[in-house]
Amino acid sequence: MGVAVMEPSRQIQRQPAWTMLASEFGESTLNEKGSGEFDPTFVITKLGAKVNRVIVSGLVERLELRETSNGSQMYQGQLRDPSGLHYFSVGEYASESMREFVVQLLDKVDSGEPILLSMTAKARWYQTDEGAVYTSLRPEEAAIVSRERYASWLVRACAATLERLDQHQKSLNCEPTKEAMLKEGIHPKMVDGLLSAQTHYGQIDTEGYRLNVMQALDIAEGKMAAATTAPPTLNLSEPQSEDDASAGEGEELQSVILECIQAMDNGEGVDFESLVRNLAARGFTREQSEAELDTMSDDGVLHEPRFGWFKIVA
Amino acid sequence: MSDDDRYNDHIAAVLQECPGADRDEVKSAFQKYEEEFFIPPQDAIRSIIRRFKSESDATPSTPKAGGQSNRPTKKVSRLSELKADDRDIEIEVEIVSHNVREQMIRGESKSIAFGLLEDDPWQEGSGERTRWEYKDWGNNSNITPGSVVRVEGASVNEYQGRMSLNINQSSRIAVLREGSRPVVAPGEPIDIATLPNDGYVCVVGRLMSSRADQIHRRDGSGSIDVVRGRLADESGAIGFLSWEPFEYEVGTLLKIDGAQVKTFRDTPELNFGRTTKIEPFHDANFANTDTLKEGMISTISTLRDGSKDVEIVVNITSWEKRTFTKDGEERYLWSGQIADPTGQCRVSAWTDLPIDDSSLPMTVRITDARVRAWQGIPDITIDREEQITVLEETPWEGELDLENLRIDVPLDELVAGPSRVGIATRGTIVSVREDSGTIMRCPECRRVLREGQCFEHGAVEGNEDVRLRLVLDDKASTCALLISKDAALALLNTDHATMMDEIQANGSMAYVQSIRDMLLGCEVDVTGRIINDGQGAMILCDGASFTEADTGLIATELRAQWGLQ
Repeated sequence: MGVAVMEPSRQIQRQPAWTMLASEFGESTLNEKGSGEFDPTFVITKLGAKVNRVIVSGLVERLELRETSNGSQMYQGQLRDPSGLHYFSVGEYASESMREFVVQLLDKVDSGEPILLSMTAKARWYQTDEGAVYTSLRPEEAAIVSRERYASWLVRACAATLERLDQHQKSLNCEPTKEAMLKEGIHPKMVDGLLSAQTHYGQIDTEGYRLNVMQALDIAEGKMAAATTAPPTLNLSEPQSEDDASAGEGEELQSVILECIQAMDNGEGVDFESLVRNLAARGFTREQSEAELDTMSDDGVLHEPRFGWFKIVA
Repeated sequence: MSDDDRYNDHIAAVLQECPGADRDEVKSAFQKYEEEFFIPPQDAIRSIIRRFKSESDATPSTPKAGGQSNRPTKKVSRLSELKADDRDIEIEVEIVSHNVREQMIRGESKSIAFGLLEDDPWQEGSGERTRWEYKDWGNNSNITPGSVVRVEGASVNEYQGRMSLNINQSSRIAVLREGSRPVVAPGEPIDIATLPNDGYVCVVGRLMSSRADQIHRRDGSGSIDVVRGRLADESGAIGFLSWEPFEYEVGTLLKIDGAQVKTFRDTPELNFGRTTKIEPFHDANFANTDTLKEGMISTISTLRDGSKDVEIVVNITSWEKRTFTKDGEERYLWSGQIADPTGQCRVSAWTDLPIDDSSLPMTVRITDARVRAWQGIPDITIDREEQITVLEETPWEGELDLENLRIDVPLDELVAGPSRVGIATRGTIVSVREDSGTIMRCPECRRVLREGQCFEHGAVEGNEDVRLRLVLDDKASTCALLISKDAALALLNTDHATMMDEIQANGSMAYVQSIRDMLLGCEVDVTGRIINDGQGAMILCDGASFTEADTGLIATELRAQWGLQ
């Protein structure tokens, strides 16, 4: 044994797919990438899931063919589940069968037919120069599914989310070390992610995830009336192109931003991601919000006590 | 509340966006989304607006893909490339030593690890390895002597011209190769069940068996006298091989320091050599031989490839003579199937045993047996007649239902465990591979042909077969799933001829997509055996069915379980 040089064990093992609602994935702002050429990347959610791959399901809300800057074609779409939206894109890197699938899907979407999809997808992560983090999906395989299959996925996603909520809760009760977490009964596969999540996200409010789960369970139980909520504010139904963002809108956006920060600031400011999400819910695009936040910071209306957290200058 | 009322606000919102839309049409759209697709109005509203807006404005605000954040990490392969003020370094090193000491830092006692490391761990360079000291401020538990790790985010420390590496609290350690020579504190015995697969250890155990043996040198230059046997404590048992004279009586409690653990196939074994210190040990509370013996009796589910001195009680369910020719001489062995409540596997005997067809099934105790495994199925080998004792009755109650003898094991447990047979598990299908459907197999060896070629036998006329190659996931574990012909056809609710027709009509890519449309994201129950050889786990499946689930009921149960009202 001693003589032979051991081969480094660097076989690439397949990464498992997490069953996950859109809100948990979409709210993630932490990623991890080993430096080796074939090391997997992970998006780490607030509940500590280290996600390289997901299996998700939902309504195709939008699907469009776009030209990218280098002239290649890319399909971009949105998938909605009861908790929120996934953004996905299928480009030339996708498998032949996935591209074929999305071409046919586009026809169906354009016809206005509602379509439920299930897809296995790789987690993608992107950070702008300003530090804003976006997550998106690159589907590997997809299928059009019935409402029964959708409902069955919903309950599995709920069960998985509830288990992660439980693991996350347990992680709060113990020292932030591997040993303590294992002792507390946390699944070995969750320990790394929970440790990273705790350091990065700090204290989080998990109530939103619980509400998402209850909403999804109502739907799975067929209690559609219970699952119905007021229509979202959508004066912005289609995002304006950036050129259209007139000064008037800018002022409106500014007052909305101030309102949001006032409402959400518990003393240490409001983080960029929550802010952008709230503004998105009021119809402002990320680009608009980001630009306005910059302007307001420059103008001295807002300040950043720490990077990515905004406070109103008193 | 009637639907009308329930949708009112949503309809109004749509009409505001699409003034020309017909109110009833909008309402029926909401109904359709809800009834046919389980999409509540607040989630359907954007899709509905999109539909009713005649013009499609194509300026979405999706995040652009691509782009990478570039952290200024300095990646080096040799320590000599580093400068005194380098930070956020990444390098692959072998850990030479690792010590921990308590240090007072700002009045607080902290344990700081320090030791030596060497660069060029894979010996790719031609020159000498460089050795540096390091300090680990992050208390990383995965830094062990002998391991090769990638250190990410370390920094250089220079003190009086000497350079060393600081592994910081924020550094990340990726283990590339586990330590091949763990140093366990000498004289500190460890439980047999927790022995490492490799390295020098100290154990205290009772001698359960011991027999003289000989190892023949491969080159024919003679043989070496050795002693083989077994040692047990309450946590488990392990075989040993002594290269030195070993004359203790069975039943003696021994303390053995400096034994080397070597792993053969899946089974670790202790090696005693010249430097191993063996002495009788006194501990009145240590479990006695009888108690330990009971703990050593295996079940089929615990058999491991390479195990020796196995004792097990099983039912022999089939028995046949197999002849083969070796060196021009016709020889034979006996081969059979065995079962216990934990599973089924094979048995082989190189000697005639008092077993005949008419007496099956027959309960026997097998002792001192060795185990080989082929494709994950253990095969217990019996060399001598005295290794088996026929028993009057089974130690377990009731008959074994061989047809349905399946042990339910959660997927994450299966994937983390060894190869085994007779399992049932559940998971979600997350991938349908492109080579699912019909395949051609080599008539000689059953290998799948690639473009009419067999890896072993070249161009051959293949036999057509059906199989599904899928991936099954559950609870952050993943496993390849190969479903054989009958089970595949049953799951897809089709037959071979129909499958052929469809593939011919639409092509295999479209056919695979049609399988995906049926299976992707579905939960299935599967039965079969699992092969886990370190390259990832694979289930060879002989039965698969969609999990029957009442989603409403599961939802209600989830609410109850987690207290959601």
